[in-house]
This record gives sequence, C-alpha cells and structure tokens, in this order.
Amino acid sequence: MDHLFLMLWHALLVSVFFAFLWRSTAEGRRRLFLKTFLVMSVGSTLLGWLMFPFP
Amino acid sequence: MSAQEPRAEAVPRKRVSRLLLAAAWLVPGLGHWLLGKRLRAAVFVVVVVASFVTGVLLGGELGTPKPGHPFSWLATFACLGNGVLYLVRMVWLNGLGGALGGIPFGLSGGGDPTVAGFAYGNTFLYTAGLMNLLLVLDVADIARGEKS
Repeated sequence: MDHLFLMLWHALLVSVFFAFLWRSTAEGRRRLFLKTFLVMSVGSTLLGWLMFPFP
Repeated sequence: MSAQEPRAEAVPRKRVSRLLLAAAWLVPGLGHWLLGKRLRAAVFVVVVVASFVTGVLLGGELGTPKPGHPFSWLATFACLGNGVLYLVRMVWLNGLGGALGGIPFGLSGGGDPTVAGFAYGNTFLYTAGLMNLLLVLDVADIARGEKS
C-alpha cells in the first residue's frame, strides 16, 4: 500500500479525533482539524525530505 | 498565593462510576454515548475502529507480553486500550482456550513482520488503543463535571 496514503490516513484519523476531543464548537473543531492535519502531513513530508540525504 | 488571598475551599471530587469507565474502555465511544454526547460518540467509534481495522489489515501485531522484553508490556498496555476489539482479536487468533491459557506469555498477537505494512499496522493498532484510553479519561472528566 502507498506509504503516503497511509501517512495521510493516519493524520486524518488522529486530527479528527483530537478536533472532537479538545474542541466543542464546529468552528473550533474545523480549525484544530486543519491545523493538526497540515502540521502532521506537511511536517512529516518535510522531515522525510530533510532526512533523504542521510543513509 | 499571597497572604491576602482567601484559601480555596476543598471541594470533594465527584466520584465516577467504575461501570461507566469500564464501558468507555470496552467499547470505544460508549462512555460518551451514555453521557449523552452522541455526536462525539459516533465520531470516536468510527475513528478508533477504523484505525484498529487498518492496523489489522496491514498485518500489524497486537502487543502481547514477551519474556525478556520489557517494552512489550508497554505495547500490550497500548493495545489493551482497544477494549473489546483487542479481546475479540485475541480470541480470534488464539482461540478462547488459547487466549485464556496463554496469559501472560503464551499469546499470539498475529501480524506478519515480513509484510511491508507491519510497522505501519503496529502504529495504527497502538494509536487506536491510546486514543481509546484518552477517551476513558475524557469520560471521567465529563462525568465529574470538569468538562462539558
């Protein structure tokens, strides 16, 4: 299975979870979901890219 | 705290039903459902079950205690957080007799270390269990009135 898809799927599940756990309004949930999802997916991609030159 | 500030009255913490906490652990989302948080309960059960099923489909291994491997107890704790999902999977893999008789070191957690998704599967299984454990704490907070 595609590793990128798995990473995005994991980020999606975790982001939805924490959005509903930590926020009680629809707007708050939407904002936290987007923030968490972006940090997890973009951050992981960036970290992977930075680690690429290392063995 | 300065000397002028009044001392806070010691308010006894509201006790939480152990049955409620057990229900919250056993079935993801059930604790929230019983407290009337229906939308949250529906979202949580979908997220935890989806994560668990993904982990199993990827060939992940449920944590079981292994002699000489102290970290396997941590993995077991994380996976035990899945509640009934963990128990059913254990019976599925070991049979009822094997699951009961294999405690603690004779249990098989399934999974296949040779498949590409093994490590990913483990991650999804641990994540599902830890999310459900957080839900149990959340249920305790809501039941105590410390959170809405």
